[in-house]
Amino acid sequence: MAESLRDKVAIVGTGCCQFGENWDQSPSDMIVDAAYEAYADAGIDDPQRRIDAVFTGSVYSQKGPHECSDALKLWKPVTLVSNYCATGTDAFRCGVFSIAAGVYDTVLVVGYDKPKDRGVSGPSVMMNQVRDLPQTPAGWFALCAATYFEKYGAGREDLARIAVKNHKNGTLAPKSFLKREITLEEALGARMISWPFGLYDCAAQTDGAAAVVITRADLARSFRPDPVSVRAVTVFAGPNPQKDPGNDFLSWKPTVWAAQDAYRQAGISDPRSEIDVAQVHDCFTLTELLSYEDLGFCEKGAAKEHIASGSFALGGELPVNTDGGLKAFGHPTGATGVRMLYENVLQLRGQAGPRQVKDAAIALSHNIGGHPTACGIAILART
Amino acid sequence: MTGILSYGAYVPPTRIGFATLAGRPARPDDSGPERAVAWSDEDSVTMGVAAALNCLRGFDRASVDAVYFASTTHPFLEKQTAALVAKVLDLRRDVGTSDHAGSLRAGTSALRAAADAVSAGSARRVLVIASDCRLGAPGSALERSFGDGAAAFLVGDSDPIATFAGAHAVADEIVDVWRSQEDRFVHSWEERFVIQEGLLPNLIEAVRGLLAKLPAAPAVAMRAALYAPDERSHASLARALRLAPEQVQDPLFGRLGNTGAAFAPMLLAAALEKARPGERLLVASYGDGAEALALVATSQIEKLEPRRGVSWHLARRRAVRSHEHYLRARGLGEREYQPARDAGLSATIHFRERDADLAFKGQRCRGCGAVQFPIQRVCETCFRKDDFELLRLSDLAGRVVTYTLDYFFPTPEPPTIVTITDIEGARVHLQLVDTKPDQVHPGLAVTFCFRRMHEVGGRPNYYWKAAPLPEGDA
Repeated sequence: MAESLRDKVAIVGTGCCQFGENWDQSPSDMIVDAAYEAYADAGIDDPQRRIDAVFTGSVYSQKGPHECSDALKLWKPVTLVSNYCATGTDAFRCGVFSIAAGVYDTVLVVGYDKPKDRGVSGPSVMMNQVRDLPQTPAGWFALCAATYFEKYGAGREDLARIAVKNHKNGTLAPKSFLKREITLEEALGARMISWPFGLYDCAAQTDGAAAVVITRADLARSFRPDPVSVRAVTVFAGPNPQKDPGNDFLSWKPTVWAAQDAYRQAGISDPRSEIDVAQVHDCFTLTELLSYEDLGFCEKGAAKEHIASGSFALGGELPVNTDGGLKAFGHPTGATGVRMLYENVLQLRGQAGPRQVKDAAIALSHNIGGHPTACGIAILART
Repeated sequence: MTGILSYGAYVPPTRIGFATLAGRPARPDDSGPERAVAWSDEDSVTMGVAAALNCLRGFDRASVDAVYFASTTHPFLEKQTAALVAKVLDLRRDVGTSDHAGSLRAGTSALRAAADAVSAGSARRVLVIASDCRLGAPGSALERSFGDGAAAFLVGDSDPIATFAGAHAVADEIVDVWRSQEDRFVHSWEERFVIQEGLLPNLIEAVRGLLAKLPAAPAVAMRAALYAPDERSHASLARALRLAPEQVQDPLFGRLGNTGAAFAPMLLAAALEKARPGERLLVASYGDGAEALALVATSQIEKLEPRRGVSWHLARRRAVRSHEHYLRARGLGEREYQPARDAGLSATIHFRERDADLAFKGQRCRGCGAVQFPIQRVCETCFRKDDFELLRLSDLAGRVVTYTLDYFFPTPEPPTIVTITDIEGARVHLQLVDTKPDQVHPGLAVTFCFRRMHEVGGRPNYYWKAAPLPEGDA
């Protein structure tokens, strides 16, 4: 493997618009909110001069890369990245590469999406081919449940506890969409979407945008005194689990593979003790449960004990989804990975308010999407 | 000797009681009269394929020289059903195909045409499929009297189970039962006119004409499979033909319903289940005239391994609980949006994928032996390129690996059961049908059936689904 990426690039500014059903905001409005907050955070008052290039991530983009450059009037090299739910993390990865390669000094990364202009409350049911089933993301991600429950004795209640935790954390994050605690009984009693997922096992659909400003490590302190260092970033493709002959439906391969790569880059050997805070993809509660194991936060099959003991709650050994995750923020696909970076930067700078993880030094963010077929992971470090 | 070599049938498991159709509560034991009803993912094509698969069990599909598909409810006015079915059944590329349509007589006409082709030597084996799925207007008497189903026969010249002994037909012009290009529902003129001026005189003339052509054999046991739209007219016809009750094949009114162009053929298939060597069979159907065919069962009928016929299917039933469910399943309910009539699903994708989607072909890697689906260029397991043999998955058994119950997608009866099914190592994302959600579990043994998937693009799109392996098929 070639030279490591470790600590060559730093985040010096971050911003996030209010996530929600933003009926009165266009994608441009949300992009401007997120980017200008990130400029201010980086102390940039002249983006035209300071930003060399833009990497943007969106799945529902109507106008391609132009949507972002036109909103910000940044007539610069602009790249649009699309990679399912890993889109935001992948746009960030491409931006980090461009700086590590020495092509640019300072780059803006913007993730955004606007699914609420489509007139449906859930995701679209996509049918392009004859053999497409009436299928939804809930149906894809639920396919590990029957097998995992049978093998490890977990059940809907373990999933519901994750929803309860994330709803609670969401009340502490100013920019979250859902700010309401729920009970275990509410979660278990909600209407069924795709077994075993009831309504509260599913992330909401929302609109949102988030941004980070990244720069060369050696320039970082010219923006602000507490830059956050990029320890590792990776994106992995995996086989379509629906047709993969070797799939055991007990874990998702893209996460396992991406985690190996990210930990190698970052020099992490014991993720549970070395990582202080993590934002983990919780499009569905089971996705978060499987990711605890696939990311090496606990042994395979042990997730339910850790859920019960609160290992991943605020105040636990390794708090996960401190801002409420996709559950509370919703999932504007391209924005999510960058929104997670926003939360991790606040945590590493000690600015996360009532949800602050004490002394957080290493933070991980994770997305998995597609069938799922793509995973992105970023590891950040306090400097 | 030209004759029938094999037969098969299909009746949808779904039944709706006459009481339910009328909006009255069903009897607690579901014992009232009912009809068979094709569910939302079934139509003439899918029922015909199921009957044909039952008929072809144990016969080499490559031996089929032609396939004739008879129906008054072909899914397309312009585009052939027989060619579609030939692809689904994985028949030879040079198979002859033709559709018989437009008349309730289409089923027996196709059977007669097949017998003629084999006798003339232009084909050695012809697969004849009769399938119908007619719509009566909601609330009408026709909605109640119709039924849905299919029969299939393999006609050939070697070792028939029943030989053709003769045929007679009469043509007549009468506007009694019809459906124009613009109509969705079947129309019927006043019932007594239809029976007195149409059905009875034509069928009596056809049957008597046929009997006159046959060598006299009054002492030989005979069984008649007769078309009639309802129980009363069927009894009138049998009386007029002076048939004793034991000579009349049970017309299954109150259980199956009038299955249109497939009705007399299905009764013939039912008669074949019980026929003894030497027994004379008569099949007669009506529509714009009438047509009657005579057959004689041979000793070969005792050697044919049991078929999935009409009685097997009638024994398997699931009651529909409300008329509204039925209306939704048949696309007759109100909906917020009409299905998009645009180009929709890409015809070029359909064209490229037809081996996988219609013939259900997967592939076996010549390098590592792994079976996989769909057809792809690089092996999923050993990464070898372009070195595969095609493999028909529809004949194989499968096993559910995992599943979910999807309540989100709009269907007449949610949830949709969605599985990952293992077929000899290939993993296939398939719907599971003909069962209940609480019967699904990893490891469930399944078989495969050809069904409608969706109407994207305003046309039916077909693919395969999994269904629990019937008991005794393990």
